[in-house]
Amino acid sequence: MYNSPVLFDKSVTIVNHFTPRNERRKFVVISDPAGYEKVKNFTSEIAGKVPVECLSINGMDDKEEIKRFILSQKMGTQFYIAAAWNNAVMVFSLGVEAGLSEDEIQTVIIGPKRRYVYCMKCFEVSEVAEEAIAECDHCSASLEIGPFYSIVREGYIGYPFIPVAKEEVIGS
Amino acid sequence: MFTQSLEFKTTDLDTFPFPFTSGNYRYSNDLKRLSNINCIEVTPEYRLQVETKRRLLQEQPHIRFQSFPHTLEMQWEVLEMLIDMATDRHPEHYEVIKDGDNWTFKNHIFGESDSFLFGDASTLPNEPLDYIGRHFHNDFVLMVHRDSNFYLEVGQVSYAALFSANWNKGMSFDEIHAPVPFVSKKGDELAERVRKFLLSIEPGKPWTRINWNLMADRWDVNYETMDVWGPQRSEITPENAGKLVRLRVEEQKFYRMPRSNAILFVLNTQFLPLEDLTLRQEWFDLTYSVLQDIPEPMAEYKGIAPFLPQSVEYLSRIDEEQKANINNK
Repeated sequence: MYNSPVLFDKSVTIVNHFTPRNERRKFVVISDPAGYEKVKNFTSEIAGKVPVECLSINGMDDKEEIKRFILSQKMGTQFYIAAAWNNAVMVFSLGVEAGLSEDEIQTVIIGPKRRYVYCMKCFEVSEVAEEAIAECDHCSASLEIGPFYSIVREGYIGYPFIPVAKEEVIGS
Repeated sequence: MFTQSLEFKTTDLDTFPFPFTSGNYRYSNDLKRLSNINCIEVTPEYRLQVETKRRLLQEQPHIRFQSFPHTLEMQWEVLEMLIDMATDRHPEHYEVIKDGDNWTFKNHIFGESDSFLFGDASTLPNEPLDYIGRHFHNDFVLMVHRDSNFYLEVGQVSYAALFSANWNKGMSFDEIHAPVPFVSKKGDELAERVRKFLLSIEPGKPWTRINWNLMADRWDVNYETMDVWGPQRSEITPENAGKLVRLRVEEQKFYRMPRSNAILFVLNTQFLPLEDLTLRQEWFDLTYSVLQDIPEPMAEYKGIAPFLPQSVEYLSRIDEEQKANINNK
């Protein structure tokens, strides 16, 4: 579905620390090698309170296994993901595909988050740092990165502008 | 390539939807029941507007029309409504022959006749709303009702005012109006109140409101061309504002579609150069008063801050001239 949630740097599911949702019937914890320590601490914190099932993954090669694992879970399950960005995006997307809502997922990103801008000149996305302006990777347009995110375009809006130096050349 | 220089202005002042009723404007939920529920109008500028719209759609298809594949059935519903309205209100300009699902639609203004199988999009040159929208000067936006909100799933937009069908595709009403930084006179969030109101609209009972803006020598200002029109706004001076700055009025009509339950936004955009305001003295006085009183955040939000002072200065000079003429008599 086009309006299904996607994982981006300001997603509501991204947290610094997991919060136990004790009203749920079961916790499922999925982590990659980068998220191992985070998960270890969390699972010791919740030990004995709620049934917990853990899955350790390595990367894209485990996609089918993760899919089967998520689909085998019952309603009332809370999902916790601790992983580096690419793996977190993959697990999150598989969860959403399986019908999970953002409320049912908490994600801790280990390492840097990725951020994308949608160019309003060529309608392509480019990866950008946490900055106010950027250059489109595809058409080289100068873009002012706005605060609005599109889950359809999977990026922040990039308003085109002419930098002062170029403006002077054009006007001269 | 399409030029954005504004070639047309409204000449029939009797149908120009003048927006101000007092000399002080603030955002408010000013929706009213629509008295004539038929939205099809043929203005004196029909040919110019529709030809320009078709050219924009031809040259910039991804900017001017967006839809999701699952919306085709909803689009047929809109096509049917617009054809029925057009042939009902202007039988001299539009004609339809319905033989079961075999329809022939005729636009006598352009001398066009198209036959298609109703419900089969492959028999049309464009998607149903994109096809029928090319026969009217309006913009059309279809907002689908889901989870107490509306989502933009189809849009044909040729008169954007800080809007983009490409960017806003799939967004909820709340997301589209997220930048509204103002509160109404009553202190409630305007977008929230309008959204709640739209939820209550019933089939067969459309509502309307009027939105306004100023345009600096442009047909429209969309996000895709911000690099072009952004700097141009500061080229307005008190000397050229009368000709180049237009009062842009957008008459918005909202229809609940009975089968899909979506809300169709029909937007009638008209322009009046500031210099033509004196054709109706009351319009001049109200506009001059309103523009003098625009709070800075509102001017920024509307994108008019770089040329509002020059526009007000132009109106001020006219006002002074008028007063001097009265004193000299």
